Amino acid sequence: MTCLKLTSFIHFRFLPLLLAAGVALLALTAPAAPRKPSDDSEVLERLPTRAGDASARELLALRAAMAAAANDPLPAARLAQRYFELAMARGDPRYVGYAEAVIAGFPEPLPPELLSIRGMLRQYRHGFQAALDDFAAALARNPQLAQAHAWRAAIFLVQANYAAAQQECAALQALGKTILQASCRGLALAYGGQLAAGYGALQQALASSRDPDNRLWLLTRLGEVAAWRGQSKRAEEHYREALSIGRDDGYLLAAWSDFLLDSGRPAEVLRELADWESSDTLLLRLAEAAALENAPDAARLAQTLDDRFAAARQRGDTTHRAEEARYALHLRKDPASAVRLAAENYAVQREPRDARILLEAAIAAGDPAAAQPARDWLRDSGFEDQRLRELGQKSAPGPAQAASRAGAPR
Amino acid sequence: MSLRHVPFRLPALLLFFVLLVLAPLASAHKASDSYLILEVNGREVSGQWDIALRDIDFALGLDVDGNGEITWGELRARQPDIDAWALGRLGLQRGGACRIRVADHLVDTHTDGAYAVLQLSGECPRADAELSISYRLLFELDALHRGLLRLTLDGSSHSAVLAPDRAEQRFVAGESSRLAQFGQYLVEGIWHIWIGFDHILFLLALLLPAVLVHENGGWRGVARFRDALHEVLWVVTAFTVAHSITLSLAALGLIQLPSRLVESAIAASVVLAAANNLKPLVEGRRWLVAFAFGLIHGFGFASVLAELGLPQQALVLSLLGFNLGVEVGQLAIVAVFLPLAYALRNTGFYRRGVFIGGSLATLTIALVWLLERAFDLKLTGG
Repeated sequence: MTCLKLTSFIHFRFLPLLLAAGVALLALTAPAAPRKPSDDSEVLERLPTRAGDASARELLALRAAMAAAANDPLPAARLAQRYFELAMARGDPRYVGYAEAVIAGFPEPLPPELLSIRGMLRQYRHGFQAALDDFAAALARNPQLAQAHAWRAAIFLVQANYAAAQQECAALQALGKTILQASCRGLALAYGGQLAAGYGALQQALASSRDPDNRLWLLTRLGEVAAWRGQSKRAEEHYREALSIGRDDGYLLAAWSDFLLDSGRPAEVLRELADWESSDTLLLRLAEAAALENAPDAARLAQTLDDRFAAARQRGDTTHRAEEARYALHLRKDPASAVRLAAENYAVQREPRDARILLEAAIAAGDPAAAQPARDWLRDSGFEDQRLRELGQKSAPGPAQAASRAGAPR
Repeated sequence: MSLRHVPFRLPALLLFFVLLVLAPLASAHKASDSYLILEVNGREVSGQWDIALRDIDFALGLDVDGNGEITWGELRARQPDIDAWALGRLGLQRGGACRIRVADHLVDTHTDGAYAVLQLSGECPRADAELSISYRLLFELDALHRGLLRLTLDGSSHSAVLAPDRAEQRFVAGESSRLAQFGQYLVEGIWHIWIGFDHILFLLALLLPAVLVHENGGWRGVARFRDALHEVLWVVTAFTVAHSITLSLAALGLIQLPSRLVESAIAASVVLAAANNLKPLVEGRRWLVAFAFGLIHGFGFASVLAELGLPQQALVLSLLGFNLGVEVGQLAIVAVFLPLAYALRNTGFYRRGVFIGGSLATLTIALVWLLERAFDLKLTGG
């Protein structure tokens, strides 16, 4: 019996060797990765824009305008802003780098228009304090810069500092920016525990907004708030109306996909996101849906995502920890890593979705202490989403655990 | 399909790597990186620089026909411009500016698409000064661009992220700790024995009969585990002592043998070891065989070590690390082989399938190697 056990154990231990041998053979016979194509007509890469595209022509014109007026900040601001919008729409961070380079080409001190854009770029990289400083400096030079107030409000919302966010909303009101003000207040109210009031403010903003980009943003946030209130049907109507505007928007697609995943409709996510593998945030949703559906390419999608996270780590990029936590929890089934990543993320970003992944990961890892900051937020904000409240209760240490913790020597 | 949960390290990692390279990769969006691998040994510089085609297009405009696609022809036509552009933004200094040129142009794929691969070679004015690298590629166009550097400087490894605010960085050979270097060569040693089939086959051919006794023209299993262990210890120790001697002599440059002779002799040693199992000539003194041929195998290990390059300032330590690595790798093989063989020694599967069949297969493979190496032929694919 012992002998049998020993053999089976050894068989198992022998496997790596056999595999190693096979793999080494493969490695020896497989061509090395870098290669020399033999055919001049072989297509190596497809660019995101073609020379004749409207967006390529627009960028060309903006670049030419900037080159023609080297010391004028306005053409540079327009080009940087356009790059930033492209980054948002396509989920492509290269455009953020292009925008930063445009601004870096200007001597300090920067004019307020460029300071404000640099603030946007810095918040994109989660340099929240530096971004707040840029916006404050821009406002000191030009108090009329509503955009800077709106961004400061957005950052305070991410940091769960709702009082500070409300101050920025008030500043927008003072500047007469009613739509921006209502959007700002709607979110601050919703995050701060008053979903119905927040929903009303966002609807009020929507009613007076004609600009399709603004409408898309408001409808997306209305969809989120409706879903938090448990009004799935209404949430879906908002999302569908936002989608019908017909503009690429990574945030909308991510929110819509999360809604579908929460509603047990992964098959629709597979359809909606089929062409969006290139964006990390959307690839995460796609891979989750594929795993739930047992889709044939589920393993490939998860592996691709893993490679992306590895590539980001290699360059020291930590802005994707919330997504990586979700990947670790749902796809790699590694709650310990998930809770670590989610806690690191929560130290920087504290939106409801950040609290949710922290709570979920802590429950899966059986680590109630890790979720304490998220429970504190739920208590302090009074955030009303039923799902999150239940997660908060479930993640709390049980009476036995609490007792043993209290009794443990410190 | 995922191999992530397979509970072993090195081979699984490699398998992963192979799958990764072979799998078609979907183009992703990520911030721009270039991958710069440099090896600086004394004055000599070699390396490889992978730059995304999308980035080159953004800087220089590759898509001449404006169809949104970059072909090999379009890339090839601009190679001189690309070289001048890239090399103009990379500076290496070692006792003065190093002269770098692009030796060849290839292409490769990373997670976010196709890359031009510039193979670099060059030389520096001095062999022992500190190395400084200044990197400015794309920074004026893309402030988020990073150069991901992997540098081997006189045998010691460094890695760095080159960014606009860290565009110039200095490296001193031997700055990474001695211990790290020792560990690195240890791993190389383990790795080499694991992928060095000729060594593994030679060792296995000698070990296969260790659990058997030849009596009256037939084989029977040994009675006690101790007997088998005793035999294995002698064989492995003899092999180790022998190849350590020649490995050290060759690595320190005291003896040089032509590699074709060494490789052929290694193949011959495998042929003889396997043949001896089928028609026993040497019995009981297999450790002598192991010692004699171990001397030859040591030269084989030395040629690998020569390719890796031994850092001059930590020569003995690295040599020791590599040698110990080879032993660790060897012991891992023995640790797996011996209990398994012992457990199976009295079965027909072991005697006919593993012992006779395995020896025959080994003999055949080794004969092919011998022919290939001795006559410089190419009989197998690859």
